[in-house]
Amino acid sequence: MKRRLDRYAGLTSRLDRDRSDEDIRDELEHHLESRIGEYVAAGLSRESAEREARRRMGDMDRYAEETARVDAMRGRERWRRERLSGAVRELKRSVRSLTRSPWFSMAAVVTLGLGLGATGSVGTLLDRVVLRPLPYSQSEDLVWVASRVNGLGVDGQWGLSVAGYFDYRAQASSLSDLGGFVGTAATVSGERAAERVPAALVTSSLQNVLRFRPVAGRLFTESDDVAGAAGVVILSHSFWQRRFGGDAAIIGRTIDVNASATEVVGVLSPGDGLPDAEADIWLPVRFDPSAQPVNSHFVSAIGRLSDGASVTSAQLELDRLTARFPDAFPTAYSPSFMEEAQFRADVVPLRDQVLGDSARLLWILFGSVALVLVIACANVANLFMVRADVRRREAAVRSALGGGRADLAVHYMTESLVVALAAAVLGVAMAWSIVSWLPGVVARDIPRLAEVRFGGAGIGLIGLTAVLAGVVFGTFPLLRMPHDSSALLRDGGRGVSGSRRQNAVRGVLVAGQIAVALTLLVGAGLMVRSYAKLRAVDPGLEPERVLTLELNLPFRTYGTWESTYTFHRSLIDRATSLPGVESAATTTVLPLAGPGPCASMYIEDRPQDAASQPPCLLYRLVSPGWFDVMGIEVDGRAPGWEDADGRSGAIVVTAATARLLWPEGGALGRGARGNGDQPPFYRVSGVAGDIRGNGLDAPPTEEVYFPLLPIEGAPLWSPPRAFTLAIRTAGPDPLSVMPAVRSIMAELDADVPIANVRTMEAVVAQSTARTAFTLLLLAVAAGLALMLSVVGLYGLVAYVVSQRRGEIGIRMALGAQAGQVTRMVVGRSLALAAAGIALGLILTFASVRVLRALLFDVSPTDPLTFAAVSLLLAALAVGASWGPARRAARVDPMEVMRVE
Amino acid sequence: MRIELIKGTLDMLVLKALMAGPAHGYAIARWLEDATDDALRVEEGSLYPALHRLERRGMVESDWGYSENNRRARYYALTRAGRKWLREERAAWGVFVAVVAKVMAAPV
Repeated sequence: MKRRLDRYAGLTSRLDRDRSDEDIRDELEHHLESRIGEYVAAGLSRESAEREARRRMGDMDRYAEETARVDAMRGRERWRRERLSGAVRELKRSVRSLTRSPWFSMAAVVTLGLGLGATGSVGTLLDRVVLRPLPYSQSEDLVWVASRVNGLGVDGQWGLSVAGYFDYRAQASSLSDLGGFVGTAATVSGERAAERVPAALVTSSLQNVLRFRPVAGRLFTESDDVAGAAGVVILSHSFWQRRFGGDAAIIGRTIDVNASATEVVGVLSPGDGLPDAEADIWLPVRFDPSAQPVNSHFVSAIGRLSDGASVTSAQLELDRLTARFPDAFPTAYSPSFMEEAQFRADVVPLRDQVLGDSARLLWILFGSVALVLVIACANVANLFMVRADVRRREAAVRSALGGGRADLAVHYMTESLVVALAAAVLGVAMAWSIVSWLPGVVARDIPRLAEVRFGGAGIGLIGLTAVLAGVVFGTFPLLRMPHDSSALLRDGGRGVSGSRRQNAVRGVLVAGQIAVALTLLVGAGLMVRSYAKLRAVDPGLEPERVLTLELNLPFRTYGTWESTYTFHRSLIDRATSLPGVESAATTTVLPLAGPGPCASMYIEDRPQDAASQPPCLLYRLVSPGWFDVMGIEVDGRAPGWEDADGRSGAIVVTAATARLLWPEGGALGRGARGNGDQPPFYRVSGVAGDIRGNGLDAPPTEEVYFPLLPIEGAPLWSPPRAFTLAIRTAGPDPLSVMPAVRSIMAELDADVPIANVRTMEAVVAQSTARTAFTLLLLAVAAGLALMLSVVGLYGLVAYVVSQRRGEIGIRMALGAQAGQVTRMVVGRSLALAAAGIALGLILTFASVRVLRALLFDVSPTDPLTFAAVSLLLAALAVGASWGPARRAARVDPMEVMRVE
Repeated sequence: MRIELIKGTLDMLVLKALMAGPAHGYAIARWLEDATDDALRVEEGSLYPALHRLERRGMVESDWGYSENNRRARYYALTRAGRKWLREERAAWGVFVAVVAKVMAAPV
C-alpha cells in the first residue's frame, strides 16, 4: 500500500514529480471519462457529453496543480520524518556500539571531558575577568588617576594628595569629572551586634563618575560632602540585604556608624561598587579644600574622560598641572621632592589598573589548559584510530555488501559526536563546579572575582570545541578507509602498509604530546622553584606561634592620646597574664599585610634644605615588647614600658632605614621627627634587622617605629586607634587563646569589634598566595598533561607490540634473545620520547620567557629544571614501555607462526 | 436548488461517502449525487485536492486499482482515524445545526 520513497530521492526529485503529476492526471482523467460514459449512456453525443462532463469537473488544470501541491507537501513531511527517524536510529546504534566497548567509551569521554572542563573553567575566568568590560556604564572612558613616584618604592604609584585632587578636578579639561575615595573600615552597631565592615569614604563626585543608581533614596550631594554637615550614609545593596533584611523603610532611619548616629539616605543597586574592592557602607569623605596642602598621598581617584579626550591627552594635561605643584603648593611640594621622587601624574585606563598583571597570568593559565586539551584530543584521536582499525574488517564487510562510504561516514561521525557530546556534558559539569568553588580559595589573587560565574561563554566554548573535536575524530577512520575492500577481506586483515603509516601518525601524535607535556612540566617546575625560593626568604621575623587580630577603638570614647594609650596598656597587661601566653604587643601596621602610611620626616644633623631629607618613610606606632613578640632582632635597645610611660621619645629604625639615612654608620642616638624640623627629636635607641614588610619578593622595607605616646613638642600623626594586637603563645596553636582574648575585650570594652583574626604564619602564607595559586594551577595542568602523555605512549607501545607479534615471533625463531626483544621495544619507545623531548625543548625555550614575570629568583631557562624534566620524561617513557616490552619478550615463536 | 457547500464540510461528506466502502473519486461524486437526489453539486475536480489532503492527514488511505470498466483508478478507503474524525465531526455538525435552528426559531 505505501509508496516506498528512496531515502536520497524524496519528492524533490524531478523524476518523482513527473511521475506523480502523471498519476494525478490519470485520476482526473478517469473521473472525466466515467462521467462522459455516463452521459453517453444517457443518450448524449460524445461532444456534448464531453463538454458537460468537463464543465462539471471544473478547472482541471487548477485542481491538478492543487493536488500536486498537496502531494508535494506530504512528500516533504514524510521525507523529514524519515530523516528524523533515521537520525534517531543512527544515534541509538552509535550509543549501543559505544556501550559495547565500555573501556574505549569511558577513556575517550573522560579524557576529552577533563580537557574540556579545564579549558571551560579557565576560559570562563578569562572571559569574565579580562575580556569583559568593567561593570560601569561606558567603562572605557574611566581612568584611574594617581601619582607616579618612580624614585621611591617598588610599585611607584601613590594616591593623590587632597590638594592635588582638588587641583586636577578644577583644572583638568580632559576629565569631565573626577571622584576621590579612601578605602577604610568602620564599625556599624545598633540593634544587632557591632560589626566591622569595609567602608568607602567618597566624594559626591565619585558616585557620578561611576554613574551609580540607587534603588532607594538618593546619592550624596555636594552639600553632604562639607565638614560639619549632618552625618549621612549610603548602604551597599548586599549589606542592606544582609544586615537590614532589605527593609524598604531603611531610608531616613538612623544607624550607628563609628558610634555616631548617621542617617541612611540611600541604598545602591546590586552592581554598584568600587572596582575590585568591597564597601558595605559609603560615607562622604569631606575633604577640606581650604586646608593647608600636605605631602600626604592617600586619595584614590577615578575620573571620566571628556568627549574627545584620550588617556594620553589626559596624561599630558595632568603632567602639566603637576609640574606647577611646587608653585601652587609650596608647603607640600618642594622642587627637590619632585625631583627625588620623580613625582608625576599617572593616568591609567581603569581596566588596566584593576587587572594589573592578572591578565597575563590568566592568559598563561588559559594557554596551559588549552595545551592540556590538545594533548587530551591527541589521546582521544589515537583511541578512535585504534577503534577504527579494529573494526576494519567489519567496515570492509559492510562496504562489500553495498553499505556505501557515505553510510559508514555517517556512522563514524555519529559515534564520535556522541562521544564528544558526552564529554561536553562532563566538561560543563566540571567547569561549573570549579568556577563555583574557586572564589572561596583564591579571593585575593584574582580581581573581579565577584563577577565570575559560569555561563554562556563557558558553555559555548566547551560546546563548540566538543563539536569541532567530534567532527575531526569522525573523519579519522574515513581517511583510512580502504578503497578496495576486497583486498582487505582477502588477506584477512593483516595489511601492513596501512598500519605502518598509521603508526607513524600515532607516533607523531605521541611525540607531540610529550613535547607539550615537557613545556608544561618545565613551567610548573620553574614555579615550584620560585615558590620554594620565595618561602625560603627570611622575612626578618619569626611568625610561628603568633596570633594577630585587628581592633578599632571608636573615636568617640578614645579621642585622646592618653585614653588610647591606657587601653593599649591594659590590653597588653591582661593578654600577657593569660596562661600559655609568652608576650603581647600592639602595632598600627602589621608586616606583610600592607605597607601602611608613610610621611616625610626630618633628620637631625642633616642640612636644612629639603633636598637631603627623605621624602617619605614608612612609620608605625608600636607598644613596648613589639620586637620580642615578632621575634625581630634589635641591635641596641628596644624601648620598654619605662620609655613609653616616661615619653622618652626612643624610636627604632630598620637596618634598611639606617643604611639609607646614615650610610656611614652610627645610627644609634641620631634624631628624627615628623611634622616639623626643630627640636625636640625622637632618638634612635635600636636598629632592627631587615624586615620584608612589603612582601617576601620585595627588598627590605625602610620603616621607623614610633612609641604610642608623642613627646611634648613633637607630635605624631594620630592616636593609634586602629591597630593590630599580636600575641606570642608558648603552645603550638596560637588560635587556642582566642576565646580568652575575646573575654578580655568584652571586659575592657564590649563595643570594640574584633576583626581579621589570623596567625602570623597565615599572614606570611597569604603574602605569597598569588605565587602559590599560580603554581597550583600550573602544577595541575602539568600533572594532567604528563598523565595523558604517559597513557598515550603506553597505549601506542602496547598496540604496536600486539600488532607486531608476528614479526617478533620470527625474530625470536631466528635466534633473537628475550633481552634483545625487550631492549628493542624499550629502545623504540625511548627514541620516540627523545624526539618528543627534543621538540619540547625547542618549544619551551621559545615560549618560557612568557613566565618571566611570575618567577622569583629563577631564570626562565634554568638548566636544572630543564634537565630534571627531560630525565623524568625519559624515565617515564621507559617505565611505560616496560610492560609491553616484557610481553613482547614472552612471545612464543611457535605459537605465533602457527597462527600465521 | 443548487446548494453551496459551507467551507470545510466537503471533507465530512466525502468521508461519509466512503463509509459505504472503498471508492474512487467518480464513485464518491455519484454517491453524493444519489444521496442528495442530485441537489448537491460540487465542482468535481475539487474532490481530488480534498482527497489528497485527507490522505495527508491520515483520514484515508489510497492505492491503485482497476475500476468496473477495467480502467486504472485510484481507490480511497477510510482509516481508523478517519472513522473517528467522522464521528466527531458528525456530532459537532449536529450541535451546529441545532444551535442555528434555535436562533432562527427564536421569537423577535
